[in-house]
Amino acid sequence: MRAYINSYESSSCAGNTKELMQAIYEKKSAITIDTSYMSETPVGLGMMSYENFFDEMNSVVQSVLNNSNLDNFNNTLLIVGSSVGGMAQSEEHYFRDKDYKQIDPNKHAISVIGDSLQTTFNFADVRAISTACTSSANAFLLAKRLINVEAYENVLVVGADALCYTTVCGFYALSVLSSKVCTPFSEGREGMNVAEAVAAVLVQDKETDDSIELCGVGASSDAYHMTNPDPEAGGAIASMSKALEDAGLNAKSIDYVNAHGTGTQANDKVEGLGVETLFGDVYVSSTKAITGHTLGAAGALEAIISCETIKQGKIPPQTNIEKAENENLNIPLQTIEKDVKYVVSNSFAFGGNNTSVIFGGTN
Amino acid sequence: MKRVAINIISAAKISAPTKIEDLEDKRIVPKMMLRRRLTRNAKIMLYIADKCEFTGGKIVYGSAFGELQSTVGITDAILNETQISPTLFQNSVYNSAPSYFSLLNVDKDEIITISSGMNTSLAALKTAALQALVSGERVLCVATECLDIANIEQVNSCRSFLEAGAGVVLEIAEDESGAVEIESLKEEGTIESLSHLVSLVNMQEKNQVKVFLTL
Repeated sequence: MRAYINSYESSSCAGNTKELMQAIYEKKSAITIDTSYMSETPVGLGMMSYENFFDEMNSVVQSVLNNSNLDNFNNTLLIVGSSVGGMAQSEEHYFRDKDYKQIDPNKHAISVIGDSLQTTFNFADVRAISTACTSSANAFLLAKRLINVEAYENVLVVGADALCYTTVCGFYALSVLSSKVCTPFSEGREGMNVAEAVAAVLVQDKETDDSIELCGVGASSDAYHMTNPDPEAGGAIASMSKALEDAGLNAKSIDYVNAHGTGTQANDKVEGLGVETLFGDVYVSSTKAITGHTLGAAGALEAIISCETIKQGKIPPQTNIEKAENENLNIPLQTIEKDVKYVVSNSFAFGGNNTSVIFGGTN
Repeated sequence: MKRVAINIISAAKISAPTKIEDLEDKRIVPKMMLRRRLTRNAKIMLYIADKCEFTGGKIVYGSAFGELQSTVGITDAILNETQISPTLFQNSVYNSAPSYFSLLNVDKDEIITISSGMNTSLAALKTAALQALVSGERVLCVATECLDIANIEQVNSCRSFLEAGAGVVLEIAEDESGAVEIESLKEEGTIESLSHLVSLVNMQEKNQVKVFLTL
């Protein structure tokens, strides 16, 4: 069976999906310069507006259900992608009490996201993937394969990560945070913006009038370094090539690459090399200058951006770039209106974990 | 729902009340620089992979609580306003252990890390069976937990083994003859998140090597 995306919604620092796409096409970054996480050190963060992250997550998933052809999720597998799970709550207790007594281990773990959604929606089964920043991209890899082998008719992919001190301060310790809005692919870029998001995507085995096909998935490991990518882009090229092979496409078929594009020196240089090597002059941009890097949610959030790119026939411009480091890349500075058939979305993570997903129009 | 029969090719498990003493890491990881960076989960995972004689290919790794020691080190540093070690942060992600396997063995294949609470090892097994089905290859499925941190008794009152791991190398069976459901052969005191893999290792020890899994 083939896999189709039939309903989706998101919430990020740029708002819901409609507001997010408007911000992308108007090149209006939603990044905030914040000093609350890093005392007296300004860092650019993608901060959502919510009273409770889990309520926001329920609201996004309810919206996907409301806009779907399903009455409920009782016959749907939930696959969550998250890198921090309930870390923010654990931090709150630990920093206040200076002990673990009030921490519920089950609300600390990655599984808290799925447990919370299961209580509200009663899915057929729940799984959670945590491969750092490829978590929800890998959820699509499993979703497509499960539908291909006819194990499930409906799979809901949810990417969810909330901001927490561990990630903000941890990335600062690695010296990869930007003090301003990040500038992916730019010469002299400073680093990334940590961000939070919830993104939910319903993948089904049946095509509807409004479907986007989940055409191909590919994954690889760099086997090079825990945090630095293979400088020859071997892992990135491998994941993109495998996704093309899975989709039965050649590189010339691709209209746009929604890059991982974090804004760090290492990622953008290597990813740019990989895209140039494999695709030549394909349009490529990173929407993280609008949303920041939403970590485990990024694969799902950028899947939605990829679907919208195809539906609207508008390639996202690169926000916040003056001069590209790699001048061989075809980075659009303004929105390009064209018929978009296929989009590649890249996600790369610590441990050299690489995942590429290809989305295709069905009309 | 789709049910498949899998063959268990090899299996291994290990556990200890606090710290597992001999994980043979000097033999398994001869390079000192790499060995020094390994997390406890990584050492246990590498030990299980070695005992399963798995040297490369697709890996599905599971852990309900991931790299607790690294996470505690980071939150302590934030609380005490000291510098966070970059190594601690890079080691804090849930896929650290299989990533170290990838580095050690120059394994460039797919790695999926599952963290499904107390259902982790069953979810990992289902995922490994899917990976074996779509690839036609043998897959390593391994899960570990390392809860041996200071003051763990504040949140743990029922697990006797603070470090444990179990794993199997599996492939899709050509036919279903002789296949059975997973028996509940879990061990008292071992964290529930490992129970299905521990049961499978115990079944393999009893020469029951063909098992049904529902994807």
